[in-house]
Amino acid sequence: MKLLKSNITRPFLSIVLTICTHSLIGSFTHHAQAQFKPHYVNMTELGGLFGRVVYDIPWSNPPVSEVENRVNLTIQTFNGVQLKPRLAVGATVGVDWYNTALLMPLAAGARYDLARSKKNVTLFGSLDAGYSVNWLHTDGTGYNTRGGMMLNPGLGLKIGLKSGSALTLSLTYKRQDAQVTKPLGWGEIEKWEDRTYNRMALRMGVMF
Amino acid sequence: MKKILLFSLLAVLFFQTSCTDQCTETRKFKRFTPVTVGLADIRQGIKTEQARELINPGKIYIKGNYLLINEIKQGLHVVDNTNPAAPRLVSFIKIPGNGDMAVRGNILYADSYTDLVALNITDPTAIREVGREKEVFLNGQFDGAGWSLNTSTGVINDQNMEIVTETIKTDCENNGSGGVWPRGWFFAADNRAMAQSAAPSTSGPNQGQAGSMARFALYDNYLYTVSQSDLQLFDIRTPESPRRGNKINLGWGIETIFPYRDKLFIGSNTGMFIYDNRNPEKPERLSVFQHAFACDPVVVHENRAYVTLRSGTMCNRGQNQLDVVDITDLRAPKLLKTYQMQNPHGLGVDFPHLYVCEGKHGLKSFDAKSDFDLKQLQHLTGMDAYDVIPLSNKSLLMIGKDGLYQFDTSNPAKLQQISKIPVKRVEI
Repeated sequence: MKLLKSNITRPFLSIVLTICTHSLIGSFTHHAQAQFKPHYVNMTELGGLFGRVVYDIPWSNPPVSEVENRVNLTIQTFNGVQLKPRLAVGATVGVDWYNTALLMPLAAGARYDLARSKKNVTLFGSLDAGYSVNWLHTDGTGYNTRGGMMLNPGLGLKIGLKSGSALTLSLTYKRQDAQVTKPLGWGEIEKWEDRTYNRMALRMGVMF
Repeated sequence: MKKILLFSLLAVLFFQTSCTDQCTETRKFKRFTPVTVGLADIRQGIKTEQARELINPGKIYIKGNYLLINEIKQGLHVVDNTNPAAPRLVSFIKIPGNGDMAVRGNILYADSYTDLVALNITDPTAIREVGREKEVFLNGQFDGAGWSLNTSTGVINDQNMEIVTETIKTDCENNGSGGVWPRGWFFAADNRAMAQSAAPSTSGPNQGQAGSMARFALYDNYLYTVSQSDLQLFDIRTPESPRRGNKINLGWGIETIFPYRDKLFIGSNTGMFIYDNRNPEKPERLSVFQHAFACDPVVVHENRAYVTLRSGTMCNRGQNQLDVVDITDLRAPKLLKTYQMQNPHGLGVDFPHLYVCEGKHGLKSFDAKSDFDLKQLQHLTGMDAYDVIPLSNKSLLMIGKDGLYQFDTSNPAKLQQISKIPVKRVEI
C-alpha cells in the first residue's frame, strides 16, 4: 500500500473505493420501470486535465529529454435525452484550456448507469467522441492551430439529491488531437507540430 | 474487498502512466554539404546539349521568341516560344555554376561560378563561347548554398543542397526547434527562395527581359552585375568580349539589381540602394532605403514600388504581406499601405494589374489602380507559383516548382492558361 502515499491519489482512491463498495455491495433497484418517459437531461462539469509531457531539448547533443507535468482547466456540458431508465444520449460541448491551444470539443455523448446503491449513488459510464474546433483560439504571428479528433471515455458517480438533481464526480481518459503549423526559420521549407493530448480528466458537476 | 482495492489501484496507475502528451514537430529544411570544383572543369564544361527536362529551374529570361530557363548550377534551357500554346524545348546549354543571364543582340552573357562568359546564340542548337572574363565573381550562392573562389588553390568551394526532414518530440507549447539555424553559417542564405519577380526592364530594342531578382542588368553600353558585396560593371561596346569596368562596393548581402528608367534599384538584406544611372559608367548613389523589406522582391511602376515579404527566408520576420510604397521622392520612400498575403514570392506589375505568386497557394491577380484599395481579381490554385513576368502582348509567364506556365491576361479576372512545361522534380 506504499504506492498510495501520494497526496493526489489518496483522496481520489478513497472516493473510488467508497463508490465501488456502495455500488457493488448495495443492491440495484429500478425506481421507474413502469412509468418511464424520455426527458431532457443536462450534465455540466468543471475539472482538470492531468498529464505530463516528455520532450527532447532542441539541439541537445547527446539527446536530452525532459519531463514536465501538465494540468489544464476543462468545462463541458452534456445536453441530451434520457432515452431509457439507464441510458441518456446527446451532445457535448466544452472548452479546454491547453497551455497553447484553446479548443472547443463538439461531440456526441452517451451516459449509461451501471449500478446504483441504496443511498442513491449511481455509478455510470460515459463516452464522448467528436471533433474539437479552434473557434475560440487565437494564434500568434505565423502560427496556425487546428483542432482534431477527441475521444473521452470514463466512469463517474452521481450522488442523488432530494430535489431530483444530482452532483457528479467523474474520472475519464481524454484523448485530443491537434495540429499547429509554425513560422519558418532560416532554410526551412515546412514546419508543423502534431499533438496528441493524453489526459486524465477529473471533473465535478451537476446533473438535472 | 481486496480485489476491488487492487483493481482500483491498477486503474489509477494505468491512468497515470498513459496520460502523457505526445507532440512531435516535423520540419523540412535545406542541408548543405561541401564540394570542391576545379576551375579547369568549369572552363571546359560549356557545350550545347540535347534538350532535357526541367528539374530545378531558377530564373527565367525572355529574348524575342525564345525563353531561357536557368537550371540551377547546371546551365540554361532554350525554349522556342514562337507559339506560346506549344513551347518547345530546343536545346540545353551546359554552363557549370550558372545562375544568371542577360542577352543583347545575339550575345548571351552568363555567369559560370567565378567567370563571366559571352556566348553566341545565333543558332540555339550550336551555341559557341566567344568571350570570357575570368575570376570576376569571388563568391555567390545557389539554392541558398554559398560558394567561394579559393584563389591560391584555384578551386571553387561549393556546397550541395538537399532537403532533410527531421522530427523531434516537443513540449506541446510551440517551442520546438524555433527558427534557429544551428549548424549553418552566413553563407547559407536563402537566395533562390527569395528569388525572382518581374519588373519592366529598360529593354533596349535588341535586349531581353529579366526578372526583378536578377543579378544581371543591361543598360547602355554596360552590363551591370551584382555579387554579394559589389556592383561590377562590364563594358560591352564590343559585345563578344566583355571588359571588366568599374567596381563599386555596396557592403555585404547584395541580392538583386533591377534597372528602371535611369535608376538602378539594388536590393540587399540591409536596405535598398537607389542609384542614379544617368552616367552609366559611374552610377551615383541617391539613397539607401533602410526599410526591412529590402531583400524581398520589389517591382516598380512610375512612382510606386510593390514589395512582398514572406516568412521562411533569411530576412524572416514572420510576416506575409504586400507593401505599397510611394517612391516619388527617391530620397525618401514612404510606405503607403500593407496587405496581408499567404506566402508571397515573386510579383509582377502590368499597371493597373498586379500579379503575386503565393508559392504553394497559387497565383493572384489584383487591380492596383487605388493604392489604398487593392482589389483581388482572381486566385488560381492547384499550382505552385514562384515568379511571374507579365509581357506586353497580354500574356504572363509564371514559373513554379511544378512547371513553367503561360497565361493569357486579356482579362486579368479570368486568366486563361495557354500552356505548361512541366517540371520533373520530386521535392523542394
